[in-house]
Amino acid sequence: MAYPYIHPSETRVLSKHFGEPEARTLKGWEARGGYEAARKALSMERSAVVDEVKASGLRGRGGAGFPTGVKWSFMPKKTDKPHFLVCNADESEPGTFKDRELMRWTPHALIEGLLVGAYAIHAEHAYVYIRGEFFEAAQIMARAIEEAYEAGYAGKNVFGLGVDIDITLHLGAGAYICGEETGLLNSLEGRRGEPRMKPPFPAISGAFRFPTAVNNVESLIAAAHVVLNGAAWYKQWGTEKSTGTKLFCVSGHVKRPGNYEVPLGFNFKEFIYDVCGGTPSGRPIKAVIPGGSSVPILTGDELDIGMDYEAMAAAGTMLGCGSVIVMDDTTNIVKQVRRMVDFYAHESCGQCTPCREGTTWAAKILRRIENGRGQPDDLETLLQISENMSGKTICVLSDAAAAPITSSIEKFRGDYEALMAPVPALAAR
Amino acid sequence: MSGHPNDDLHPESWPVAAANPGFAGDTGEFTQLTEDDVRGLSFVGIRPKDGGHASVAGTLPYQVAEKDPEAPIFSGPYEDRLEKVLSRYPDRQAALLPTLHMAQEVRGFLSPATLDEVAQKLGLSPAYVRGVATFYTMYNLAPVGKHLIQVCTNISCNLCGGDAVLAEFLKHAGTEVGETSANGLWTIIEVECLGACGFPTAVQINDRYFENVRPEDVPAVLAQLT
Ligand SMILES: Cc1cc2nc3c(=O)[nH]c(=O)nc-3n(C[C@H](O)[C@H](O)[C@H](O)COP(=O)(O)O)c2cc1C
Ligand code: SF4
Ligand code: FES
Repeated sequence: MAYPYIHPSETRVLSKHFGEPEARTLKGWEARGGYEAARKALSMERSAVVDEVKASGLRGRGGAGFPTGVKWSFMPKKTDKPHFLVCNADESEPGTFKDRELMRWTPHALIEGLLVGAYAIHAEHAYVYIRGEFFEAAQIMARAIEEAYEAGYAGKNVFGLGVDIDITLHLGAGAYICGEETGLLNSLEGRRGEPRMKPPFPAISGAFRFPTAVNNVESLIAAAHVVLNGAAWYKQWGTEKSTGTKLFCVSGHVKRPGNYEVPLGFNFKEFIYDVCGGTPSGRPIKAVIPGGSSVPILTGDELDIGMDYEAMAAAGTMLGCGSVIVMDDTTNIVKQVRRMVDFYAHESCGQCTPCREGTTWAAKILRRIENGRGQPDDLETLLQISENMSGKTICVLSDAAAAPITSSIEKFRGDYEALMAPVPALAAR
Repeated sequence: MSGHPNDDLHPESWPVAAANPGFAGDTGEFTQLTEDDVRGLSFVGIRPKDGGHASVAGTLPYQVAEKDPEAPIFSGPYEDRLEKVLSRYPDRQAALLPTLHMAQEVRGFLSPATLDEVAQKLGLSPAYVRGVATFYTMYNLAPVGKHLIQVCTNISCNLCGGDAVLAEFLKHAGTEVGETSANGLWTIIEVECLGACGFPTAVQINDRYFENVRPEDVPAVLAQLT
């Protein structure tokens, strides 16, 4: 269900209980079959939990789409070292607002996901890193975790099954880059949230230099469903390589914005026009960003594709975290790209020169074009800067910042050129 | 507490619920849901100042409306809260973010002297703590007005008029971005995506989100923030 709207084409697995305030409470959650998944997982062999999630084909929902079970299988088999699970609830990618709804409507679902994930990777402690702005979601999570401790579903001897799993909520303090998993780990350790060079990967040296798996909120909740119902059940939805259902966050110029859960591979055009109702004004769609501000832009004519990792890649973009931003034909693309690049310039942690300088310069040039003062070689300069920002830095924020620039110049060059004409047509508006 | 009927449910820094336009988004087809249902207020209740269970003690900042720049940070329930937070990490440094949140909750902003105090408490160098505090946008390094109004102007909100909402706030408060209004009540800043993009424009006021804010809602929102 999408709160605040429901559409009959949805397949409601993770979002089934959105809009039901009782589902938030432990009592209400158990009345809906809650904690069966976690109980089942903790009664299985740890390796069997990993294998089931691997077999389901579930891919990480935080943006990169790396298979969750495979990530867990990289964790060393338990030695005497502590292991950690860290849940990435930093949700700051512009256009994304699914983890917040998951946490505020179904906090116990995430606790189950934490128990399943922590158990699978031999972790005795799971940290949930929530972005600091989410007071509301954090407070709901806090109360739910207290309920879980009171019931013996967290802490020592969970469910009386002889397994210890502690859960700790940790609030961020406002920095997009802390969503990047190694930036997040530094932040959790009380440092500046600067991403780390990889390798070593977190599975070898993560939180507090111990083996760590970092998983998105939605990934963990989906993993709990997989363990309860089996890999085959999960694979009834989606495509061969993009299995299951996914929450898509829709914003911008659509009639019914919100979260919608559909099977991966769902037709994108049908999704936007039918499920979300098209544009509020009925005007044509000019552009759509399918996966959050960090992925290349599609034009309104490129929407007849599947909403899965492969089809999006074939269309030259990415599924990302499923954050669909729709723009109708009144949109000033240059302004919106400039706004996104301003964001990256603000959020760059500054460690890498191509990112720190590139985002700042690109933002300046874009602003100049937006204001009708573009210079003839500005587009070439922007493309050169973007080229220099891609594939050369510690983390991929830099690549992400280049994506809207290059894709918009490629697809909406006319919009840029119109602003640079002797009588800047759009700027005069 | 300020004396409205739901005193026991609403932290006092929150404006009276019913008067908040467009709370938590349009409830869409879920017309039966109240603000309380959407925000989970009764479920959460009033969080204890000592942080409640240790697992979540680090996550409860900003619940008190009255900030006192002179108040002790590490005494009474706050001392207990810090001890609980420290118990959850392998070292004291990891408690830095939660401790800074706590200091800001008590004092309203983080002065150099406050940062030094936090440094000393956690056994870190003052320079290190300053380096961390300046990295994050939520730490106020200078005093702000009684209400900190943060308007999202990132892409999804912007497509639906975020810039206009910001302009309207500035106009009605008679102030500039980052500055505090003459009456000392409102500091207005522009923020990056608040993770509420489907409910544009998203505005965070103190610890609470106002959603679906339209330019014409602004005077009513400001009127609540006294
Ligand atoms: C700049 C940047 C920001 C990111 N922000 C987030 C985020 O807010 N939430 C998230 O879950 N993953 C985010 N990621 C992805 C994480 O690095 C990581 O891949 C993810 O948390 C892994 O979880 P998953 O495998 O379950 O997707 C971000 C990555 C980058 C490069
Ligand atoms: S690419 Fe940018 S954000 Fe990432 S580590 Fe380098 S400077 Fe920091
Ligand atoms: S763009 Fe405004 S909340 Fe995300």
